[in-house]
This record gives sequence, C-alpha cells and structure tokens, in this order.
Amino acid sequence: METNKITVTYKKSRFSKFLTAITWVAAAISMVVLVFLVLFVLIQGVGNFSPDLFALEYTSDNGSLMPALFNTVFMVILSLIIAAPLGIFAAIFLVEYSSSTNKFITVIRMTAETLSGIPSIVYGLFGMLFFSSALHWGYSMLSGAFTMAIMILPLIMRTSEEALMAVPDSYREGSFGLGAGKLRTIFRIILPSAVPGILSGVILGIGRVVGETAALMFTAGTVADYAGFLDSGRTLALHMYVLSNEGLHMDKAYATAVILMVLVLGINALSGLVAKKLTKG
Amino acid sequence: MKKFMSLAMTGVLVLGMAACGGTSTESTEAPATDAATTTEAAATEAGSEASSEASSEASTEAGSEAADAGSTGTMEGFINVISREDGSGTRSAFIELMGIEQKDESGEKVDMTLPEAQISNSTSAVMTTVAGDTSAIGYISLGSLNDTVKAISVNGVEPTAENVKSGDYVVSRPFNIITTENISEVGQDFVNFIMSTEGQAVVEAEGYIPVDGVSAFEGTQPSGDVTVGGSSSVTPVMEKLVEAYAAVNPNANIEVQQSDSTTGVTSTSDGLYDIGMASRALTDDETALGLTPTVIATDGIAVIVNNENPISDLTSDQIRQIYTGEIEDWSELN
Amino acid sequence: MKSNYIRETVMKVIFFIAACASIFAVILICVFLFANGIPAMGEIGFFKFLLGTEWRPSNDIYGILPMILGSIYVTAGAIVIGVPIALLTAIFLAYFCPKKIYKFCKSGINLMAGIPSVVYGFFGLVLMVPMIKSIFNIRSGSTMLTAAILLAIMVLPTIVGVTEASLESVPQSYYEGALALGATHSQSVFFTMVPAAKSGIVTGVVLGIGRVIGETMAVIMVAGNQAVMPEGLLSGVRTMTANIVLEMGYASGLHREALIATGVVLFVFILIINLIVAALKKGAIQHGD
Repeated sequence: METNKITVTYKKSRFSKFLTAITWVAAAISMVVLVFLVLFVLIQGVGNFSPDLFALEYTSDNGSLMPALFNTVFMVILSLIIAAPLGIFAAIFLVEYSSSTNKFITVIRMTAETLSGIPSIVYGLFGMLFFSSALHWGYSMLSGAFTMAIMILPLIMRTSEEALMAVPDSYREGSFGLGAGKLRTIFRIILPSAVPGILSGVILGIGRVVGETAALMFTAGTVADYAGFLDSGRTLALHMYVLSNEGLHMDKAYATAVILMVLVLGINALSGLVAKKLTKG
Repeated sequence: MKKFMSLAMTGVLVLGMAACGGTSTESTEAPATDAATTTEAAATEAGSEASSEASSEASTEAGSEAADAGSTGTMEGFINVISREDGSGTRSAFIELMGIEQKDESGEKVDMTLPEAQISNSTSAVMTTVAGDTSAIGYISLGSLNDTVKAISVNGVEPTAENVKSGDYVVSRPFNIITTENISEVGQDFVNFIMSTEGQAVVEAEGYIPVDGVSAFEGTQPSGDVTVGGSSSVTPVMEKLVEAYAAVNPNANIEVQQSDSTTGVTSTSDGLYDIGMASRALTDDETALGLTPTVIATDGIAVIVNNENPISDLTSDQIRQIYTGEIEDWSELN
Repeated sequence: MKSNYIRETVMKVIFFIAACASIFAVILICVFLFANGIPAMGEIGFFKFLLGTEWRPSNDIYGILPMILGSIYVTAGAIVIGVPIALLTAIFLAYFCPKKIYKFCKSGINLMAGIPSVVYGFFGLVLMVPMIKSIFNIRSGSTMLTAAILLAIMVLPTIVGVTEASLESVPQSYYEGALALGATHSQSVFFTMVPAAKSGIVTGVVLGIGRVIGETMAVIMVAGNQAVMPEGLLSGVRTMTANIVLEMGYASGLHREALIATGVVLFVFILIINLIVAALKKGAIQHGD
C-alpha cells in the first residue's frame, strides 16, 4: 500500500506539502512550549539573583546553591562511571555477541524496559532499603549514585543498542576482512561510528540525574554541604525542591532553576564538543 | 518589564497560530487550542504579577467570575477545596481541630474530608494553587504564610503567634523532636540547647510559638557529628537552630536532612538519624519502639483564601462544613 | 595469538556480566517489592485491593481501582497528545529543519530533558491550572487533561531524542532510492525512512511511556489527586505513583505495605506493556515490510 502511494503521487502533490506542513506544525508546537517553559523559569528566577546565591557556604538565609552545584556534578560523574560502561558493554554484548532471536537477549531487553518503567519513587525506596540500610551506606552520595545508575542504565543500554545496530554490517565485514579481531573491530570501528547515538543516551541519562528528586531524596539525603563519597548531599534539583517545599524560599528556588537550566545547556554543549572530537579521531 | 515579556509571549503565540492556520486538517485542531490557551495564560500571568490595574484588565479578558467577585464584595461560585495528603501532620491536626474527623456508629474515627477535595503534596503547592484560583480555600503552616494569599480569621481571631500562644486561635499543632536512649553527648547537648532560653528565642523569631518554662543554656561544648532529619515543616526552624547552636558550640558538626515525619521517626529508630523531626504526635506503634518525643515548638495552621476573595472571617463550623462538602458554594457564606 | 584469544574471552565475559546487570537489578527490585507488597495484598484481599473503589487508609480500606484507572487514563492522554507531536518533531529535526535553526531546536529539546520535574510541576500549577479552569469554567483546573498535557510536554525530549537518533542512523541510500523512484522529499521520509527506523521509534515511545507512568513530582501538583473514581477528562485524578509519593512519607504498618503493593501493581503494568510491545515488534518483524 505504501509503495503504491509513492508511485502514484507527483512531486508537487498536496499530500507531500501536507506532510511537510505537519512536521513544521509539530516542531512549532514543541518550540512554543519550550519557549514558554524557558520564559516561565527566567521570569520567575532572574529577578531573584543575588550574590548570596553563590556564597561558598550554605546558610538558611542565603540559600546558596554552590554546595548543591558541586554535588550535582559529583553525582552525575559518579553515576555515569557506574552506568555508562555497564550500559554500553551490555549493548555490545546484545548486538555483537548474540543473535537477536536468542531467548536470553529477549529477557535482557525485557528487564531493561521494565527498569525504565519503574517510577523514581520506587527506585528511591529500593535504594533506601538496599544501599542505605542493608549495605550500611546511609544517606550518601554513593547510595544515590548507585540508585541513579540503575535508573539510567536502561536508557543508556537501549540507546547504545540502537546506535550499535545502526552501524552497517559492511563495516564489520570490512574490518574482519582486513584481519582485525572482534575486540579491535568493536573498539576501533563500531563504537566510534556509534558515538552520536550512544551520546544521546548518555545525555538523556545526565538529564535524568540532574533533574531527579524523588529517588535522591531517599538515598542521597538533603544535607546542604559539599559531600564526599559517604556523605549526604543534595543536588541542585533536590536543593530546589527543598527550598520550594515549605514556600519560604520560592524566589531562591526559581533562581536555582535558572542555574539548573544553564547547567544542562552547558552539559549539552560539552557533550556536543566531545562527540565531535570522538568522531573525528 | 513583565508586561513586555507577556506581550512578547503573546506575539510568539500569534505567530504560532498563524503557522497553524496554514494547514487545514484535524491535526491543526490541537495546536490551535494550545496556542489560544497559552495566550490566555500569558494574560493571567501578567495579571497576577503586575499591578492591580493590570490584574483587573487580565481578569476581564479572561471573563472569569473573579471580576464580579472583586467589584461587588461578595463571592460566588463553587468552592475549590484544597487539602493535604492523608497522614500529613498539617492535615491530621486540621481535621481533628475542625471536627472534620468524626466518629461513626462503631466509634471509629473517620476523616470526613469530601472525596472531591483536591490534594496537594506540599505547603507551597497549596499556596500556589490558592494564589492562582479565586475560588480556592486551603490550609498551611503559619510560619510559611506570605502575602501571595490571604489568611482568614477563625471564629473572629486572627492567626498570629500571640493568638496561638494565648489559645484564642484554635488551629495549631506541635513540632516534635524524637530521640532514643543511645543519643550521643553532643546530640544531647544540642537538644538541651533547643530546649533552652536561647533556642526558644530562635523558635519565636521564626514565627513559631516557643515552649514555656525553659532555662538558660549551659553547654559543655562537646564535639562530634549529629544528623537531624525528618519533617519538612520542622526543617526551616531546625536549620536556624543549628546555625545558632554552631555559634555557641563550634566543635559540633550538625547535618539537617529534610524528608518527612514518618521517615524522621523510622530513621531515628533505625539509627540513620540521631534526632528525628515530626510535625505530628507519635503513634502508639512508634512510641513502642522506645522513642522519646519532645515538643520543641507549636505551629499555627492558617486557613488561606485567594487575595481577591472578600471573605476574611469564618467560624470553625463553617470551615468544617466546607471541608465535609455541606457548603459547596461561596454564596452560602455571604 | 593465544593472548589475543584470552583477551577476547575475558572481554566477552565482561560484556556478558554487564548485560546481566540489568537482570540482577530487576531481580533485586522484584524481591524487595514483592516481599513487601504481596503479604499486604493477601491481608487486604486480592480482589478487594485491585477492584475496590474506596481508598481510606485511616480506616484500613484500601481499594486502588481509582488509581489504576487514573494512571491508565492519564498515560493514554499523554501518549495521544505527546507521541504524534514528538514523532513529527523528530522527523522535522532529522529531515526538514533548516540548518540555521537546527542547533537552537536541538539544544532546546535537550534542555527540556534536564528541567527537573518540580519545575514542570510549578509551570503547570502557575500557568496551566488557572488556564484550564477559565477555559472550561470548572471548579478546579487540576484535572486529568492538565496532567495529560503536562506529561505530554515532559515526554517530548525523551521520544524526540531517541527517535531522531534512530532516524539519522537509517542509511542515506534508502532515501536516495526512494527519490530515484520519483517520490518527493517528504514522501521518501515518511514512507521509507520512518518505517526503516521503526525499531528505534518504538524504543523511544516505550521509554516515553515508562517516563509518563513513572512521573510523580509534576503530576501530583496538577492532577488534583482525589482518590475517587475518575469521572471524565475534566475531573481530578490520582495516579498510582501519586498515591505512593503522597502517602509513603506518612504511612506505617499495613498502609505502607498497601502502598508498596501499589508499586507492585505498577510494576506488573509495565511488564504487561513491555510484553505487548515485544509481541507487536515480533509480529512486525515476521510480517516484514
């Protein structure tokens, strides 16, 4: 049926104009929503900026976000160190080492999809009971990072898998044909050409860690201080949540949201640069 | 500045609508409504944030009942009842004191809050909802009250710290800290500080009602780490207390974890917290765990309505009727 | 040669272990959830729990049918609104977007992914709730519709990101082939490239559904959260996640277990959705294109 359409329509048909138009409309809607969101945050937040927000130490008066900013970066790095290799390696196993009809593979895919559907609050409760209580890590960055890692694992795994599958088989055949071993082919040929796809998964993962509140509240805790591995510390999103919760510091909460947005923009720009470097090299 | 922003936003939307107009299919339906609604939102926002003249302008535009309410001095329309989640310290105190919790035939206490009441999960969500809805009524901690909403008098008594303390204002609840027998020396020293004249001065300065009969603080300046955690309602005043304590005892390192009352209690019994915070009384199950609650302050609960709502005084009986659904329309209260 | 072989084997084992990590995680979470949730279901009564229409924890009445329906309705609404827009936006970004605005659009979408749900919640509460109220002239603007629209917005970046990546990985030769057969640009895109990227698109949508069902912090701010049977698009609704988050902090004893059991139900739901999707995918592969 679909092929019929292609052959009977003409180049300037109304239908293809319509197709073009609906993509424009959809994109326009997305952009309008985006502009609204950003303006909303900016209007509420920018007016409340003060040097206090960037004071080195948090007090209940200045509502400084510096410790939270540090903790956010720390948390992102920690959880990526755990989740990114796991996710990418798992994807490599799924794509390169097994046929897609294998039962085991189906099970892994199912579990990954199940993981991606578990609400963050359930992760939070699980993390609290398992990492904080059972493993005696208490409220700590480590508990938080492991919980986050499980949470973003399916995201990274699935997107990496898609990216790897998209690498044409001719690449593999060419590499094997030139006498390269499997590992060499994977690390030198396949991974580099799959980097943009993998990265999009990692960015989504970072976004989730940066924006997560419910799960971290129960695992990393809400202490407003610079945290080490086994110390409790709040990330920016949690900082914002805590500030907004009692309605006492709404102004600072919105200002924090602005910083959070800037941070996300920064991460995106950075990962874009990294992707460029990697694909070139 | 804000007016300009909202104008700019409207401009963006008009462009968006124009773009939608280009196509003529069912898919345009969604974007058109989307754009239209957002324009209105821009107007409402401009209204709520800019001066009062802008707000009356906005509400005429929106054509809502808010306009007539403001001009005639009476209130009409459905009451949008906002409550807190079942089990929240604020809610339990509110329903008990207002008689919303009633005993049924078998003597069991039943929370009669009307099932259609909207549930908000935090003080700020209640405040934001009420601030944006002329027909809403809600209740929050007195310490969090600000000028985005209007606190009404209950039985003719204004919700102020003095009135709560004197007992004239009836809606209040205790702030508890929870400790175990194994509390460390520095933890005990901090508790002593909270329960001293100095500590209670901090409580009072934050707008809560201090405990009577305390004496001056005699610290021994022990050193060590303490983790305090629990109720988000108690956290703001606890942060101030920690800062004040740090000034008298620089040797101690006290962390404040914000979660909720129940986590505060259970984590204290699990040993994750040294001192727990709860904005409600302990249940029998909890006291059986060997925990000791101490009241460190009393907090009033303010009943709030939108700033444009002309009503400023309700009896506790009226509030009960609103929350149980016997009164459904503001006009019944004029 | 031998060391090479060893290295290959070692790495293969490492890859295998990594692949098992997600299974391990699911088992851990399963054990924890089921161990805590199933006894409560037994105590309340399985059907009483699932089909009960009344939720009054203070009187030990636990029926979660309203929440189950709430979750289904809100998710369906968000998917109906969000998925078409997200897919078309992804197609736009991949094939129709002028180079000049591409960077802006792309980083904008990525930015949306990083905005915390609390901010979305306040966005919905401050802008959308009053707006819905005044349009439909109803008691409260916190409705199922509001929640669905907000979730549709929140799910955009996930679906757009994954879909666009999979669209871009479709070999260019497909597109050229379609053009050569006389198709226009948009026809080639819609009837050749999009079907070719189907697997990735489905992944994106599934991830999106997961995000919608699991979303809590934003939903509780705009959905009204009445634990009663939802009456329609313009009535308030409480989702299963909202039920957990709202009350978990205060719950103890059977109430707490009932909430964890709600989590179990949610979990089973997600399993069912995944099974359906897997079946659909299988069917699609067998039929071919």
